[in-house]
Amino acid sequence: MLEIPNKLQAQPDVKKKRKWLDSEGRWGLLLVSPYLIHFLVFVVGTSLASLYFSFSDYDILNPPKWTGLDNYEKLFADPLFYQALWNTVYFTLLYVPAKTFLALLLAVALNQKLKGLKLFRMAHFLPVISSWTVIAYVADAVFNQRIGFANAILAHFGIAPQSWLIDEVWVIPVLVLIAIWKSVGYMMIIFLAGLQGISNDMYEAASIDGANAWQKFWRVTVPMISGTTFLVIILNTIYSFQNFEQIFVMTGGSTEAGSTGGANNASLVLMLLMFRQGFSFYKMGYASAIAWVLFLILLAITLVQFKLQKKWVHYD
Amino acid sequence: MQKRFPLNKLFGYLFVLASTLIMVVPFLTTVFNSLKTYKQYMQFPPEWLPDPVKWSNYSQVWEQANFSSYTVNSVIVAVLSVVGTLLSSSMIAFAFARLKFPFRDTLFMIVLGTMMIPGIVTIIPQFIIFKNLGMLDSLTPLWILEWLGQPFAIFLMRQAFLSIPKDYEEAAKLDGCNPFQIYWRVFLPMCKPALATLAVFTFMGKWNEILAPVIYLLSEEHFTLPIGILSLRGQYKTDDQLLVAGALISLIPILIVFLFAEKYFVEGSKTSGLK
Repeated sequence: MLEIPNKLQAQPDVKKKRKWLDSEGRWGLLLVSPYLIHFLVFVVGTSLASLYFSFSDYDILNPPKWTGLDNYEKLFADPLFYQALWNTVYFTLLYVPAKTFLALLLAVALNQKLKGLKLFRMAHFLPVISSWTVIAYVADAVFNQRIGFANAILAHFGIAPQSWLIDEVWVIPVLVLIAIWKSVGYMMIIFLAGLQGISNDMYEAASIDGANAWQKFWRVTVPMISGTTFLVIILNTIYSFQNFEQIFVMTGGSTEAGSTGGANNASLVLMLLMFRQGFSFYKMGYASAIAWVLFLILLAITLVQFKLQKKWVHYD
Repeated sequence: MQKRFPLNKLFGYLFVLASTLIMVVPFLTTVFNSLKTYKQYMQFPPEWLPDPVKWSNYSQVWEQANFSSYTVNSVIVAVLSVVGTLLSSSMIAFAFARLKFPFRDTLFMIVLGTMMIPGIVTIIPQFIIFKNLGMLDSLTPLWILEWLGQPFAIFLMRQAFLSIPKDYEEAAKLDGCNPFQIYWRVFLPMCKPALATLAVFTFMGKWNEILAPVIYLLSEEHFTLPIGILSLRGQYKTDDQLLVAGALISLIPILIVFLFAEKYFVEGSKTSGLK
């Protein structure tokens, strides 16, 4: 399916006359058998089941009843679906570019062999290791409309307090800001690993040609790191489209299903819509249809990104 | 170039320092919030430092809620997941890296493929499988699949096994070891750094997981820490600062793991950029 570059290939089969399944072959199949079960039952089996559910009326208690395209027709006529789709896309459009760029900048800054590198790195990893429950309280310290210091700072400049996460307009930008803050350190590490693969000769050659730091960044670093950038964009797009935990925790208010989605559904994303339909209303058929639409959108975006990479990703 | 370099470094420092403050200050504020009285916590404009320092918030929230039960559940899920991942994924990865068997490369492409394919469509059928197995409202669905191999873990261990010279394998073969013994006695002990990376990554993922516990756990006695704390929100309306303390308690174990094994977190992050 997707072409994944894999530098470390296992040794190719030596073309010797061998039985189709010799002792080594049997051992091999035996040792990978747990994953075979995982794949056949929990990936292929479940995907097929999900596809079937999406064409059925299924409330868990009674067996699924085939209803053809009903769920999809209902979905495409549901204004909430379009709202959730837009919210998901809006989140992704803000989240992916900003986070990728910031992570790259941080990695470039840290790559200059700064003293205290380990300490800086650890500080940026603190939110990465925290659960969204912890982050919800950390974000509360900043963006709580009553006690957060964001409003205290605004008040200092005579600006009226905002209600951030419970405000229809602010909620997604603030969620994006928090999401970037939480995991930019992780992406920074991926970029750092990529930067260490760029040979110093490139920078020296650029210096001889009289390039300044800014030009070196755009003309050497950015093209040379583009393979990593591409991967970071793919990973984050996939994450962003399936973002559930953050939005559930921060605009939900409780573990009680159905109470999520924020003020006026302003932070209702596709994953939340699926969760609500499936696990609050037990409309498993409808929820499966949402899952498949989300899956196909994501697949299409990923394939387009793979096509577009040829235009901007630089491979040696 | 010699002259410009320090200036770049200075900008780099300022940028990283600013970013570090942005990372740390909200956490510090949260720690201070957890030590405030309710009155001071709710005060606007907020005061940064707690006065008086109420350490008792921590013991109070621990006693008032089922914290020990949440913690035990979280530990069970995390430990069983880590053990399961280490055993199963390393064994599977060994076969992919070191044995020749039919469809090996196709199967490995599938492993890589499932790593890229989003898991959304499998959530509902998996729920139904576990429901039919009578595992709803139990911790089992939260760790059992880790015992059947996870794509990222297989990928990571395979990289580690591939880097071991073939001589070890041949020596063990001459000693009459079968492939499983070669894996268990020779290869596994040589890949301790990769195993440590995998262990901390799995621990982190499971310790912090929210979606699966929300779907599978119904009664409070089975709640893990992240959702246990969320479930308290409605109950202690007057004492929000206690919930802040509770959330921070759940951070302590993973923070300790992180402080002692930081380099493995970094290694794991790098590997996830390799695929």
